[in-house]
Amino acid sequence: MKDIYSLHQMYLKKETSPVEVLQDCLKIAEKNKLNSYITVCSDLALDQAKKAQKRFTDGKPLSYLDGIPYSLKDLFVTKGIRTTAGSKHLLNYHPPYQGSVAQFLSDSGATLVGKVGCDEFGMGSTNENTPYGAILNPLDPNRVAGGSSGGSAAAVAENSCSFSMGTDTGGSVRLPSFYCGLTGFKPSYGTVTRYGQIAYASSLDQAAPIGRNCLDLAAVMEVISQADPKDSTQLRKDPLQLVSSLLNNQQTKIKLGVDASLLEGCDPDVLKELQACLQYLSQNASIELVDISLPHLQYGISVYYLIAPAEASANLARYDGIHYGEREKAENLEDIYRLTRGKTLGTEVKKRIMLGTFALSSGYSQQFFEKACQVRELIARDFDLAFEKCDYIFSPVSSTKALELKEKRKPMSSIQLYLNDLYTVPVNLAGLPALSLPIPSKQKLPGGFQLIGSYASDAELLKTGYQLEKILEGLS
Amino acid sequence: MNRDDYKVVIGIEVHAQLCTQSKVWCSCEVGGSDYENSRVCEVCSAHPGTLPVLNQGVFDYAIKAGLALDCKISPEISFDRKNYFYPDLPKGYQITQFYRPIAQSGVLKIRDDKENEKTVRIRQIQIEEDTGKSIHVQDYSLINLNRAGTPLIEIVSEPDLSSAAEALDYLKKLHGILVYTGVTQGNMQDGNFRCDVNLSLQRKDQEKMGIRSEVKNLNSFRHVEKAIHYETQRHWNLIKEGKEVPQETRLFDIETLSTKVLRVKSDADDYRYFNEPDLLPVFITEQKINSIRADLPELPQTKITRLMKEYGLSEYAAETLSSQSSLADYFEQTVKMTSLPAVKVGNWVMVELMRLINEYNAQIDSIALRPKHLAELLNLIAGNKISGTVAKDVLTQMYDTQKSAHQIVTEQNLALETDTDLVDEVAERLILKHPEEVEQYRAGRERILGFLVGQAMKELKGKADPALISQTLKDKIGQ
Repeated sequence: MKDIYSLHQMYLKKETSPVEVLQDCLKIAEKNKLNSYITVCSDLALDQAKKAQKRFTDGKPLSYLDGIPYSLKDLFVTKGIRTTAGSKHLLNYHPPYQGSVAQFLSDSGATLVGKVGCDEFGMGSTNENTPYGAILNPLDPNRVAGGSSGGSAAAVAENSCSFSMGTDTGGSVRLPSFYCGLTGFKPSYGTVTRYGQIAYASSLDQAAPIGRNCLDLAAVMEVISQADPKDSTQLRKDPLQLVSSLLNNQQTKIKLGVDASLLEGCDPDVLKELQACLQYLSQNASIELVDISLPHLQYGISVYYLIAPAEASANLARYDGIHYGEREKAENLEDIYRLTRGKTLGTEVKKRIMLGTFALSSGYSQQFFEKACQVRELIARDFDLAFEKCDYIFSPVSSTKALELKEKRKPMSSIQLYLNDLYTVPVNLAGLPALSLPIPSKQKLPGGFQLIGSYASDAELLKTGYQLEKILEGLS
Repeated sequence: MNRDDYKVVIGIEVHAQLCTQSKVWCSCEVGGSDYENSRVCEVCSAHPGTLPVLNQGVFDYAIKAGLALDCKISPEISFDRKNYFYPDLPKGYQITQFYRPIAQSGVLKIRDDKENEKTVRIRQIQIEEDTGKSIHVQDYSLINLNRAGTPLIEIVSEPDLSSAAEALDYLKKLHGILVYTGVTQGNMQDGNFRCDVNLSLQRKDQEKMGIRSEVKNLNSFRHVEKAIHYETQRHWNLIKEGKEVPQETRLFDIETLSTKVLRVKSDADDYRYFNEPDLLPVFITEQKINSIRADLPELPQTKITRLMKEYGLSEYAAETLSSQSSLADYFEQTVKMTSLPAVKVGNWVMVELMRLINEYNAQIDSIALRPKHLAELLNLIAGNKISGTVAKDVLTQMYDTQKSAHQIVTEQNLALETDTDLVDEVAERLILKHPEEVEQYRAGRERILGFLVGQAMKELKGKADPALISQTLKDKIGQ
């Protein structure tokens, strides 16, 4: 599968067509070998692709995304198209309204192949916390695709779509991108509207694309970062002209900050690749490595697993079986609540709801939730101080490569699994933008690193990612 | 143990629906008595993925209420989630203001039981959303979300009230202020204005407060009064029997005029408040506050005092005319256009005009009979052109037919008889017809003259000036 920019050029030159490309995608999506898809929208997609093709024939494509096949994590609301959030509770939920990201993408001419699987309500890092089944890693089907946007990563990597929209609350796009050898971008909090993105933890959630390279992500960001009056927490900036700015970018000097202590916790194979990558980058004249220190990042997981569940405990209260979604039959109201939520929400979801309910309850809220909010500020300040010394931060995405599937790996505790997110969670807590970029390698599972930018530096970060991508082409 | 050893301590929370056009987080229209669930969108029915967007209009109303109650308006406010499950609360939490409300530390002056002025402290005013309504049918319930997301302000008093009468005066004054300022329509039967009463009995010689009960959702002044009486007695009975008063939330039963337990408050009653991450904090500028302050109408108490001073009205008349600002405006506009003394104009407005308005179940601001029309009629009285009795009848006709006072008086020939010859003639005829009465008058029984004047008025069909008749009779009898 070609990247978005190349496909667009081929459409313009009539070397291939949106319908032709889509048909190849649908073949893979309908087979669904990796279990990426929950719902495939073949008819709708074909209809959209035909319209796109006509626009190219008329010489009037709508955008770089016109006629580009994509998929949406099933947390994105699509009017009339089943939207499950990876939960049994929303098994037959057909939203009565259109979410903004879906609308923006539809307006850009992109063709929706289908809705892809995820951890239930975005809660997980292996994509195994869902009744719709685990999603297999396209590079090694004995391993997980990563979570919670596992369907998005697998769908792009298996070539059933060109790009996919995931969501990233604590690393949910960066981790599966890393596991599957793709490029993922978690924008600054507030860059992309959250209207129509089913909420997990509202102060951390951010829509995040997965693609094949930074130029793909730039093309998607141009479309989805539009201002949306329906989300009052959105940053209102002028639309980003990303693609042209990436293509015209001159190599610039980059001060890359590295906190050496962060690398120490990685598995040897991951560490080796990160060090090799740093070594290679430092040989480039445009790059200067700078020592930085991020002392409070070690508290990220503790802080995240108080704040995210606390917000989730309220966000998921609406799944009570009264207004929509599944409802268990019962004799009285309390039993409707108890049975509906008991039977239609998964174990991990219930665990986090209880954790959050506890963290907010009177007598404990000060000790837990409020303390976590204070430490969150310290983490954000660590980053602020670091960015006084460097332009971007280089860090691992995760300490290990894609885990084996649950039934194949040694049992892991929740805490061990939560530690998958050690390097990604602080970025969400501070609201920063970050890229997950692959390190070219001959291994079956490629390496990867995280590139973190300062708040609202999204456009510059993508440019820098593009530059590093070009440099690293020489590594393999 | 003596009842006199205890005092009643009452705090009141009032919920007032704001007069915005649309709901607080979405653009659905507010109010109306449409079909169930006809004013509902994905936001106010809490579909997954939806977000609230604050209706900016809400601030103006909340700030207005805050200023009218002498509150401090907070320069920075934020919203919080109050978590609880209920079918008419589709999000599973209510968005309210717990940590940083819009207004704090206000006061409202009321009359205590001895008619002395008393200051009740307002703790805070917060913006929040109304819930939907549950309709319980035999063995199932239905939900109507038309009301869900209607903007409210909650006004929380300190526990400064100590009797049903004080509580009622507080509520009436508060209601008056909020309706005056246009913050709420205040229709209690529609639930625009409803209150929760917190009540406890406290030993007068002790600092420690008693355990309180809360009676929720009272939507008439009478119910408030009954609920307070009932609760006071219930608390006292428990104390008298040496029992502990349980901390409870209670409901008022309008059939039995008593209260019953809704739920027992306990540690489980934990709303787990936290900052609403879907809404940003809002900064309120001094400029905004000042512009709203400048637009604030005259408040009821100020108006009453001014009407008494400026027009010499009695307190009763000033209060009655100030019960609606449009009624007071009507009165003042009429006064300006007539030479009839203001006190008399006041009587015409609050007695005669209000009688018609009540009879037709109309509103003072929507009737066709405007102050200039009334003034025209009152000027006829002032100029001795028609009698008061005839004027009342003319007013009714003006109301019914929308004809002017002049037109009615002319058409029906109702003007006072100024023809002195005719009055002379009637007087002479009456003197001859009633020699006994004339004799009595001459003997010093002056009150008998009234009878003769009445007879003359009858003959002249009320169209004569009683003073003129009286004088003529006196002159003729004296001759």
